[in-house]
Amino acid sequence: MSSTKIFQVRGQPLPRFPVRNHRMINTVVCGFPIISHHRVSNVLSRTSGPFLGYVPARTDENPFLRGDSNGRFGKFGGKFVPETLMSCLRDLEDEFNFVLSDHEFQVEFTAALRDYVGRETPLYFAERLTQHYKNIARTTGDGPEIYLKREDLCHGGSHKINNALAQAMIARRLGCSRVVAATGSGQHGVATAAACAKLSLECTVFMGTTDIEKQSSNVLSMKLLGAQVKSVQGTFQDASSEAIRNWVGKLETTYYLPGTVVGPHPSPVMVREFQSVIGKETRRQAKQLWGGKPDVLVACVGSGSNALGLFHEFVRDEDVRLVGVEAAGLGLDSGKHSATLAVGDVGVYHGSMSYLLQDDQGQILRPHSIGVGLEYPGVGPEISFLKESGRAEFCTATDQEAIQACMLLSRLEGIIPALETSHALAILEKLVPTLRDGAKVVVNCSGRGDKDINTLIQRGMPSSLC
Amino acid sequence: MATSGTASSFRTSVSASSRLTHLRSSPFKVPNFTPLPSSRSHSFSVSCTIAKDPTFLMAEAEKTKAAGSDPTLWKRPDSFGRFGKFGGKYVPETLMHALSELETAFYSLATDDDFQRELAGILKDYVGRESPLYFAERLTEHYRRENGEGPLIYLKREDLNHTGAHKINNAVAQALLAKRLGKKRIIAETGAGQHGVATATVCARFGLQCIIYMGAQDMERQALNVFRMRLLGAEVRGVHSGTATLKDATSEAIRDWVTNVETTHYILGSVAGPHPYPMMVRDFHAVIGKETRRQAMEKWGGKPDVLVACVGGGSNAMGLFHEFVDDTEVRMIGVEAAGFGLDSGKHAATLTKGDVGVLHGAMSYLLQDDDGQIIEPHSISAGLDYPGVGPEHSFLKDMGRAEYYSVTDEEALEAFKRVSRLEGIIPALETSHALAHLEKLCPTLPDGARVVLNFSGRGDKDVQTAIKYLELGLHWSTGPEHSFLKEMGRVEYYSVTDEEALEAFKRVSRLEGIIPALETSHALAHLEKLCPTLPDGARVVLNFSGRGDKDVQTAIKYLEV
Repeated sequence: MSSTKIFQVRGQPLPRFPVRNHRMINTVVCGFPIISHHRVSNVLSRTSGPFLGYVPARTDENPFLRGDSNGRFGKFGGKFVPETLMSCLRDLEDEFNFVLSDHEFQVEFTAALRDYVGRETPLYFAERLTQHYKNIARTTGDGPEIYLKREDLCHGGSHKINNALAQAMIARRLGCSRVVAATGSGQHGVATAAACAKLSLECTVFMGTTDIEKQSSNVLSMKLLGAQVKSVQGTFQDASSEAIRNWVGKLETTYYLPGTVVGPHPSPVMVREFQSVIGKETRRQAKQLWGGKPDVLVACVGSGSNALGLFHEFVRDEDVRLVGVEAAGLGLDSGKHSATLAVGDVGVYHGSMSYLLQDDQGQILRPHSIGVGLEYPGVGPEISFLKESGRAEFCTATDQEAIQACMLLSRLEGIIPALETSHALAILEKLVPTLRDGAKVVVNCSGRGDKDINTLIQRGMPSSLC
Repeated sequence: MATSGTASSFRTSVSASSRLTHLRSSPFKVPNFTPLPSSRSHSFSVSCTIAKDPTFLMAEAEKTKAAGSDPTLWKRPDSFGRFGKFGGKYVPETLMHALSELETAFYSLATDDDFQRELAGILKDYVGRESPLYFAERLTEHYRRENGEGPLIYLKREDLNHTGAHKINNAVAQALLAKRLGKKRIIAETGAGQHGVATATVCARFGLQCIIYMGAQDMERQALNVFRMRLLGAEVRGVHSGTATLKDATSEAIRDWVTNVETTHYILGSVAGPHPYPMMVRDFHAVIGKETRRQAMEKWGGKPDVLVACVGGGSNAMGLFHEFVDDTEVRMIGVEAAGFGLDSGKHAATLTKGDVGVLHGAMSYLLQDDDGQIIEPHSISAGLDYPGVGPEHSFLKDMGRAEYYSVTDEEALEAFKRVSRLEGIIPALETSHALAHLEKLCPTLPDGARVVLNFSGRGDKDVQTAIKYLELGLHWSTGPEHSFLKEMGRVEYYSVTDEEALEAFKRVSRLEGIIPALETSHALAHLEKLCPTLPDGARVVLNFSGRGDKDVQTAIKYLEV
């Protein structure tokens, strides 16, 4: 009985990727050829076989839950962590596998998503945006139809709450009374603080000092929600490291709540699983709206949680094109960007193997983007895998293009998108002319732009606006 | 008074159809509250009366009154756009045509399937309806009494709508209506900017030209919202006349409308103004109540026992109440802003403290002085800061169908903090007023009573206001001894604005080379007023409580602006 439930909840199963996927490599538009020498930096433990004492709890029935039993997607992912964390991660993995099929959890979670988060979010036909691209098309009146998946309407203003809420519920089930998290733009921090307030868990959020300055209203929101905000010298990377350090110190009572599809197994799988509700809803809504599947999916990629949330459901549908957009910052040649997949190399960071921005010594480079949420030097291992297998295409958009896209959507649709989301919208400019008439494009509108208004003003928007 | 023949027939058809949807107990029972005395002892000062009521109008009003305690017989509004004696169309002649045209269009679109389908589609996919009816578990727990009994609290989550408040329901519908009328130009006025942003949003969505009138002073204070509106493609016009605030902006917008009435639609954001606006805005917001009825039926198979909403102009409250007015067993509670307190004179509690008069084209309760001049209202939340109230609220109050209470700034801020911590949802300061009233309401409710509170907006916009209270170290309540000393008259207490404090901050830094803390700057700022009153050679000792290194960043930000 329970296995049928899993199918209902999880939708399409995802097996290991068949080799035939490699045939799709030619669809890469802006990706660089994969660099052949794979340097492994900061290797904490080398693993090729399963860990000793590894408990494959219920995994036999659900082989599709992961790349393989070791949390690997091809060669990416894994658990490159100190020994002390292993038992903790194993407990977490067991609990995660359990809740996926636990009726009680699913009922509670579904109700919370509906009544607290406000799902399902609409799949909105952006009529005027579609028209805009049709008007500038060379052949008159031809163009694809653009739909927005309105994650900006979620409680807290972005897709982050889907995952934060689910994991906070897991934390409570594991008997942890305290949650630690690290945040960059503050969106994940606010989502975590909200979820913890709702579930009456103690919450500590680590945040880099520079980010705290930039995002002061998010900091205050977190404090209002009862979270303790601890400042860490540096940026998001440093905050993450500090949060993990704090967690390792108090493993029994504390839960580390990762906000994105990075980190050691099972966190990439878990976050993806909780975000995949985006894709599932999209499939259902597409069926209702035009009785078919989308032709192209577009999402921005920082470390990849919103992109995977949308893509995951459609990975097996090979007729659906998947396009991820990274932040090119001031330009790929400037060295000031976050285009991990475009110019990064393979390495190990924050517990898993993936593409990274690193120098010749394997040291992490400082990323840059106007969308603070995209400022991460790594990327989710599954995203790396999708790139290497050629299943998804990845391209980049600069700060300037993102700002333009943000203004365009505000004017045409009355929706102010987050600057992260604006990167995904920016690529439409290049993507749309290559698509056939009537193709259905779904863009993940992952967050709202209220938090970015100050940044936009500072960036010297046209003076007519100020 | 222009009226259309379809008016009365529309009302009947609506009440007939709503009769089908639910059963009603016809005898009016008043189990939970006593109606307020309908004859207010003091005289009604009617200000700025533009049109005198013809006697037959009054007769009509009397008839409604005579319908007495059965709400199903009430005409809300009657064929003259009146709710009892409230409402009406007190407007210049030039606008009469536009208003009648609007009224006719509204009635015909109410039964137009195409329009309704398009509106429903946009509400679903663009606005993100329906909004959940959320069981606030921890808030319910908070109000549970020692014996384990207590009411169950549900929140109607209008904060999850696009742009973060219920306002968009009405803005979308009116823009669609303007498009149907063939009007390509939209005007609106805004105080704090929320209504302006909602209007600019829908104009962007439908590709309409949008002009927002805003007081020059408000524009300075709300620079972010001005930017937001411009980002959305709206033209924001500053109004410098008068006090350069909301009411001057309103006058300017109406002037514009009178001039360009053929091409222009005026989007009104609340259930105030001349007929048909109060009715139209109410009906566009009524989706809130309709969803609530359906969701309540799904969740517990019944109706809510108590409805709570905040009241400024009253659109969110009316949206929730309208559906339930005829269900007399449902208690309806509106919460107004008492600002610094009802006796302070600095409040916006129109229904509690106001008199009947005419403002913005309709008769209703107003805050006015003995000469019938409008008193500037005050509330910490910009959305409740309105000197009038929707005519239908005045009517419901006089008929005793709804109860109205008030909540001070301080109580609202406490609720703001409490709900953020307990539920992880930051409410707008407007909504916080409704939430604050739960403190008084819940202990009086029976066990298991179901309270539905209209969670009308999210608080992101108010976080800055909260920063002021938090960062400056000023607490939301003062120590008891201060209250005592003030009461006894032993100590005098004055207040100093942020601006004055910042000035003092700068002054003392420059004059004495000591950077005071912003807290201390408040004391320093008061010297400006105090010193001229002191005799020669009086010695003043000022407690220089802290140094200002921590505040330099904050101060620079404000001083630069």
